[in-house]
Amino acid sequence: MSDISRPAPAAGSTLARLTQNNQIVLLVTLVLLCLVISLGAPQFYSVDNLIAILRQCSLVLIIAAGMTMLLIAAEVDLSVGASLAFSGVVAMDVTNKTGSVALGVAAAILFGGAVGLFNGLVVTRLRVNSLIATIATMMILQGGVYLYSREAVQNMHLQKAFTDISTGYVGPLPVPVIIAAVVVIIAYVVLRHTTAGRYIYATGANERAARLSGIRPERLKLIVFVVTGLLTGLAGLILASLMNAGQPTAGRGFELTVVAAVILGGTSLTGGRGSLLGTLLGVLVLKVIDNGIIILRWDQDLQMVIPGIVIVLATYLDLVRKKNDAT
Amino acid sequence: MAGGGDRARSFNPILFADLARKNFGSREDTLKNTITTLLLTTAALAVMSSAALAQNLPKKIGYVANYSTHEWYQNVIKGMEARATELGIEFEMRDANLDVARMVSASEDFMAEGVDVLIVTPVNEEGAVPLVRRAKEDGVPLVLEGNPVTGMTTMVAICDYDTGYHAGVAAGEYAKEKLGGVAKVMNVGLPLLSATVLRSNGFMDGLKTILPDAAMVHDLDGGGNPDRALEVSSAALAQNGDINIIYGINDSSSQGGLQAWKAAGKSQDGLLVVGTGGEGLGFINMMDTEPSYQIEAAMFPEKVGFTSIDAAVKLFNNEAVPAHIVSPTAPMVGTDSWKQFYSLEGTTRTINWEAVNAITPAEKCMKTAADL
Amino acid sequence: MGDRLRALLKRNEAVLLLVFVLLIAFFALTSENFLTTRNITNVLGQASLAMIGAVGLGILVISGEIDVSIGSLVGAVAIPLVVVMNQTGSLELGIICALLLALVVGVINGYLSAYVGINSLIVTLGSLFVIRGAIYIYTGQKAIADRAALESFYQIGNGRLLGTIPYPAIVALVILAIFIYMMRQRPFGRQLYAVGGNPEVARLAGYNVKRTKFIAFVLCSLLAGISGILLSSRLGSAVHVSGLGYEFQVVAAVVLGGVSLAGGIGSLFGVALGVLILSFLSNGLGMLKLATEWQQVITGFIIIGAVGLDELRRRRR
Repeated sequence: MSDISRPAPAAGSTLARLTQNNQIVLLVTLVLLCLVISLGAPQFYSVDNLIAILRQCSLVLIIAAGMTMLLIAAEVDLSVGASLAFSGVVAMDVTNKTGSVALGVAAAILFGGAVGLFNGLVVTRLRVNSLIATIATMMILQGGVYLYSREAVQNMHLQKAFTDISTGYVGPLPVPVIIAAVVVIIAYVVLRHTTAGRYIYATGANERAARLSGIRPERLKLIVFVVTGLLTGLAGLILASLMNAGQPTAGRGFELTVVAAVILGGTSLTGGRGSLLGTLLGVLVLKVIDNGIIILRWDQDLQMVIPGIVIVLATYLDLVRKKNDAT
Repeated sequence: MAGGGDRARSFNPILFADLARKNFGSREDTLKNTITTLLLTTAALAVMSSAALAQNLPKKIGYVANYSTHEWYQNVIKGMEARATELGIEFEMRDANLDVARMVSASEDFMAEGVDVLIVTPVNEEGAVPLVRRAKEDGVPLVLEGNPVTGMTTMVAICDYDTGYHAGVAAGEYAKEKLGGVAKVMNVGLPLLSATVLRSNGFMDGLKTILPDAAMVHDLDGGGNPDRALEVSSAALAQNGDINIIYGINDSSSQGGLQAWKAAGKSQDGLLVVGTGGEGLGFINMMDTEPSYQIEAAMFPEKVGFTSIDAAVKLFNNEAVPAHIVSPTAPMVGTDSWKQFYSLEGTTRTINWEAVNAITPAEKCMKTAADL
Repeated sequence: MGDRLRALLKRNEAVLLLVFVLLIAFFALTSENFLTTRNITNVLGQASLAMIGAVGLGILVISGEIDVSIGSLVGAVAIPLVVVMNQTGSLELGIICALLLALVVGVINGYLSAYVGINSLIVTLGSLFVIRGAIYIYTGQKAIADRAALESFYQIGNGRLLGTIPYPAIVALVILAIFIYMMRQRPFGRQLYAVGGNPEVARLAGYNVKRTKFIAFVLCSLLAGISGILLSSRLGSAVHVSGLGYEFQVVAAVVLGGVSLAGGIGSLFGVALGVLILSFLSNGLGMLKLATEWQQVITGFIIIGAVGLDELRRRRR
């Protein structure tokens, strides 16, 4: 259930009530996972490993924040993986050519935003189903990135500020983690405490009703697409900094990690329900599983099988909860 | 779901990206001197000799690439185009884009158009078996690049195991001198392809000839792409503090491993990074700017392309060719070593044909996929 | 209402047909090798693999559901096929086992989606990963060679009737004809449209919504299985990476063919045109020596353009 659509903070005192809350289930899963993995491999709790996990999470989380809003508004964007790679290429190329990190940063974020705008226009004006529209955009971007640069764009500018975007620290925290935290907090506040957030939920839950109550769903959706695009550009920038190159081949399948994490977090594919806290937990669970399989030296093919089962299971549990709520 | 690589595997097969190219035929017959001579021949000389021998030249050669957006194949194609232009042959490339079904379709299309010789990089060796038969039925000579296929006439390919092995020997010598004789290796590998497994095996075997105590501390599936390699490397580096050598089965993998090392805030003192392929600009940039990136197992894709066209001309003339024509590889050791084989202008690299043609390729691979 | 809808759909197909003819004319004029019997029959053979899958996915989407696991299934069915053939030397047994696997997958997908009620995109996304992961684990990420070397196995995917028409094209045509007949003339076809158009109304009209959807899932998987068998023959083996991205290709064709992802709208004739347009586009662009990246960009824009126009026309009505 979304934080907002819950009528009143239910005084969940019983265990039964607790398990009905998706986020608590996820939290317990996360804690159990950490326990089990650390029993098998004590290095799980090393600072290096935790930071590595957090850094991986932050990339996913930045985009997932936008994707959560999109799914709540009953739309989806599958072009984020391709856009991630392309904006990374743009970031590195512009920084190489201008010698200015600021321009590189701006170019990447604007590029992502432009992709979001294109998606938003196709979906809201041409009324193309967003699943299809963004798959088409994905194809266009995957082809387009090679038309832009046939090779990976290497770091020729050697600016420290550019590298610091991914590997720098503020106090004990890596820069990308701070960026992700800021993004998530802003998105959280917007969704929970602003009119715009309420409108997003309302639009996703029932577009017609929303329109009748004076909301303009098209414009709202367009904005959410652009926000998701901007965030993807930001993540692309961080990835380029992390890779020290603009890699056209990067980001393949990234969109599915993001969507999977958001859904695992309890956001409904049909719109109207979802929360950022859930998304945060969803990202953490998936990335801890991923990390655990390597640290435990299990067959890495399981990195494909286990999350597949987890997602279906999570959706099933959500369904059961919904049915219980209804009765 | 799990990490980028896995999904990529399912949805966008890019992962196996670069690698499908190299693998080995089990047999290796009589090539020897004829082929060595050919490889040593400079471009100009080749033109003269081809004219002098009054060889019949095919009008048109079609090439089905595994994945033409990858830097490796771009440079293979560059080598093919250069050689075809030199000989006055029309050359056309189509891309399988890592899809076995498209590999078959594109080859069919070429045969329907009536190309004189077909060159194919199999996306998968087994998947190309019917293709070999159909080319025979159609009477179109077929040169395979990279991967051997049952029933084939000839294949142009490098020796993966040997490439890894010689880089391993060089790494051993480096570690003996600069790393106190300790070699704890993180292998950023790709179990999906026999070629890449051979490289990793060769590297460890070569390394152990110098340092018998060398150990592979963590064996990873980096998916052959940089972001996935970075992600899995981060976890492995966090788990094993003693790693001091990173081996990548291609340049993207070694780059991912190295970037994970840097992201963990570690100093590159006491680290050695070894890449494989020399496929694009990435390794040149890393050798220039990263103090730990000291060894590159170079595979010279341009040369592979050049040799494939020559093999195609021979097949067209019904000349006898060996089952496996070996394209040379060599470890580059030290920061400036790449300059011996390549020159760089802006973002265009140019191969130094004289230096590459002077490398004598092995007559036979030390190990092939059949030995796995 | 029904008549109007039908008239509208006819118009949609007419537009597609026009696009298709223009496309053929364009490539025929720009490339001398395009309009040859050999090339056209080649493309028909190539298109048939997507065609068979698209018929299955088409009816499933019309029923209001989706299956994105068909690419993994196309790769998976080759394994029982080749393994059983290698052990028994019988193509028939191999095919039966391959179809059994497809049946099992269809039943699982269908049960979880139609009866348990989990969103089918999620269910089949899950199967996509589980099946592909299982393929990798079972095969150790290596292709399984065909050791039985049956001529019949080679022929089903590579042979040509009278040396001209590829067998896969004939299989696709027969399947297409059967299903077009079913969708138009049989009660089950009407049920599919009704269930996809408005499940509530369909239920009130006495249709068994769950069962109808379940059957559509099973049919979709079985057809993907047939496609996988033919692909396996063309590849002469069970290739662990085969079928990757197949689902994208098929979904694109179905949507291009005018089937609405919301369910209830579309026709198999349109789907067939969608498949042919994309296949000939790929072939023709290749002949024009356009690089892969241009082909991707153009295909992307065509999908957006076609679906966008379709939506615009629907709204005008």
